[in-house]
Amino acid sequence: MKGKVIGKEQLAGWLDNLREEYDVWAPVKGNGLVSFHPINSASEIYFGFLNTRKTPKDLFFPQSEVLFSFRRGEMEKDRDTLLEKPRIIFAIRPCDAQNLALLDKVFDSEDYQDPYYVERRKGTLLFGMACTHPQTTCFCTSMRAGPFEKTCLDLLIVDLGNDRYFVEAVTEQGKDAIGKNNLLEDAGEKDTERLAKTKKEAEEKIKSKIVIEGLEEKLDKIFDSSLWDRVHQRCLGCAICTYLCSTCHCFALLDEKVDSGGQRIRSWDSCMFPGFTLEASGHNPRISNKERMRQRVMHKFNYFVKNFGQTACVGCGRCIRNCPVNIDIREIIQEIDNE
Amino acid sequence: MQENQKHLREAAEKLLSDKKVDVIIGYERGTLPLRTRPVFIREPDETKKLVWNSRCENNLSFYLKTAKGKVGIVAKGCDARSIVGLIKERQVKREDIFIIGVPCPGIIDRKKIEDTLEGRDLQEGVESDSQVILKGEGFEEKADKDKLLHSSCTTCTHRNPVLYDTLIGKEIPEPKMDEYSDVEEFSSKKDNERWTYFNDETSRCIRCYACRNACPSCYCPQCFVDQSLPTWFGRTPHPSDTLIFHMIRTLHTAGRCVDCGTCSRVCPMNVELQILNKKAEKDVKELYGYEVGTNLEELPPMATFKIDDPQEFIK
Amino acid sequence: MKEGQTVDTEKAGWEPRIIAFLCNWCSYAGADLAGISRLQYPPNVRVIRVPCSGRVNPYFIIKSLQHGVDGVLVSGCHPGDCHYINGNLVARRRFAIFKSILEFMGVEKGRVQFSWISAAEGERFSQVIKEVTEEIKALGPGKRFVKEI
Repeated sequence: MKGKVIGKEQLAGWLDNLREEYDVWAPVKGNGLVSFHPINSASEIYFGFLNTRKTPKDLFFPQSEVLFSFRRGEMEKDRDTLLEKPRIIFAIRPCDAQNLALLDKVFDSEDYQDPYYVERRKGTLLFGMACTHPQTTCFCTSMRAGPFEKTCLDLLIVDLGNDRYFVEAVTEQGKDAIGKNNLLEDAGEKDTERLAKTKKEAEEKIKSKIVIEGLEEKLDKIFDSSLWDRVHQRCLGCAICTYLCSTCHCFALLDEKVDSGGQRIRSWDSCMFPGFTLEASGHNPRISNKERMRQRVMHKFNYFVKNFGQTACVGCGRCIRNCPVNIDIREIIQEIDNE
Repeated sequence: MQENQKHLREAAEKLLSDKKVDVIIGYERGTLPLRTRPVFIREPDETKKLVWNSRCENNLSFYLKTAKGKVGIVAKGCDARSIVGLIKERQVKREDIFIIGVPCPGIIDRKKIEDTLEGRDLQEGVESDSQVILKGEGFEEKADKDKLLHSSCTTCTHRNPVLYDTLIGKEIPEPKMDEYSDVEEFSSKKDNERWTYFNDETSRCIRCYACRNACPSCYCPQCFVDQSLPTWFGRTPHPSDTLIFHMIRTLHTAGRCVDCGTCSRVCPMNVELQILNKKAEKDVKELYGYEVGTNLEELPPMATFKIDDPQEFIK
Repeated sequence: MKEGQTVDTEKAGWEPRIIAFLCNWCSYAGADLAGISRLQYPPNVRVIRVPCSGRVNPYFIIKSLQHGVDGVLVSGCHPGDCHYINGNLVARRRFAIFKSILEFMGVEKGRVQFSWISAAEGERFSQVIKEVTEEIKALGPGKRFVKEI
């Protein structure tokens, strides 16, 4: 593996060069939250982040988007292009990038392509920032990935802990992005040594573990277990865990209309809401938080595995950190394991 | 606080072994540093799980709506006021609950700890009488509890539960203060500034409804935003619909909200709209002389009227 | 519809659209009397007849603003005159808080108004409509809460 390095003070120059061709999105801090925004200068980037509060999945699958609109007496207009310029998402965390591999299975499969998702996905380069400071709630190493995972990334950038970043091209497009300027130089032996050390240290910092081997089969057997009565008890039934989740991708189609026209909107929906399964007859098969929480766990660790061969969790820990009543998926998996 | 925790466990154990209650809803240690979480205790020997400290942030009266049997509930000042409201609105029966009141000197705001940490990960936290020690990778810091208190707690004038069956520890002095000075200050701003403030705050809202779901006063079987026949307002995070959702929630909880701060605490996007709830609380107090959740007798203000209610605003 | 429009549009002949929710028993009859008496009042109001001012859900008002009306008037019977004994008194509390919250959020004072008009007050009805129309004209087009679809 041949990598490049760039001095930290050169990074701004590199991004400025890239901004000529791309819209660069990067983590920006505001109101106590870090989130991805298009930047006009590298000085806006907040490097002190562990991870963003919301996942960047909404850059590909926005919380709500108009699929089409109509006016009285007018046919549907042609859809505008979704991206004016190709995008770079700078400093996306490996877990959030890996998540796109899961979303690809849903929105960009052989049988079905979602044009909105695909267009955004194709027009975006992902520059990952390796996690050198994983959080106590991170468990990506249990999800067949890690803080330096390269899945879906075009480039992996690693803070070497000194005055340099290590930059490794993963795809051809990533290589091109490096090739376009001379601020990056070839990595020396010391840099690669440092890289290996940083990686090892980061992986060791991840103490949380969950066991997903055999989980799918186990879940098959415990659908009616009393375990669900216990684990759901404190659940408030809000959608924090699903809306902040990397992998959750359920949506509803809504029609908003007025006298003169209307629009069809795709909007995130959550299995934690009663309305998610409410039938027209008034019957609701998932009548309480218990059934809803079971669905959330089953979908991630059983149904998704059955449908797509992979667990629908990347171990980012957002659901754990943000749950107002501290429901901890690691604990639930442990309890399932103990059943 | 340590002392009260001990008393709390003893009281809970006695209640369960005497079969006075079927379940006790309290707080236990969470899985994250400095976090506690709601716990449901049914066996006397499990009562050692119960904790009481400045991080017992959840308003447990939420769980009364679905609890079965005779329920013992740990209640801070604000929680007790919520319970009074629920009894008055006939959501729970007084005789079905046993209130274990705990005087509360204020609860720490997780978001303030986050701000103090400036992005660093908290790995361990220890609370002492006046300070919190925050530890993580390469740092150990002390922070004063006073400075970390949630904004609702800093203006709280009901630290002692108004209604209880047993009180843990001794009552603590209630502070005298102008609770609504922030509302007045905010009112003095220009229309545009206030409008911009509320739009900015709600622009971050992701419509997860944690504020609504955690709120003890929000117990409608179907919320107006979830209605589809008719669909009153949009369900997307459109700025207008989001602002309207929060505004109507304030209207629906006017005269019922006790400013426990739960809605702001649970918000994952740091949306801060408490000033709106406080404004409603202030109006109800000034116009109708009603202080929410302080007695079981008075009818909720929006469910009644007087012939001589103020009406300067009507032409 | 509203974005970019300012009070200048008055010059371009902008006229406010106002929705008036009138209670069946008093204010609507007041409007009727104004009509029978051939009293003039501005044609900017669109009247919606409701059984009682207590029937007016705040959703109606917000929904109107969301759809881009420039002003809303709710009118009912004087206290003590309600056909349903006290519908207007319950409404009075509700609207006191509602109006206060609206204005606290930054909606212009006068955008949403309330009045008591009896069946005998045709003169007063035309007067109130004149005042309300003038006040809303002075505020310019309603922009708060407007949602374009």
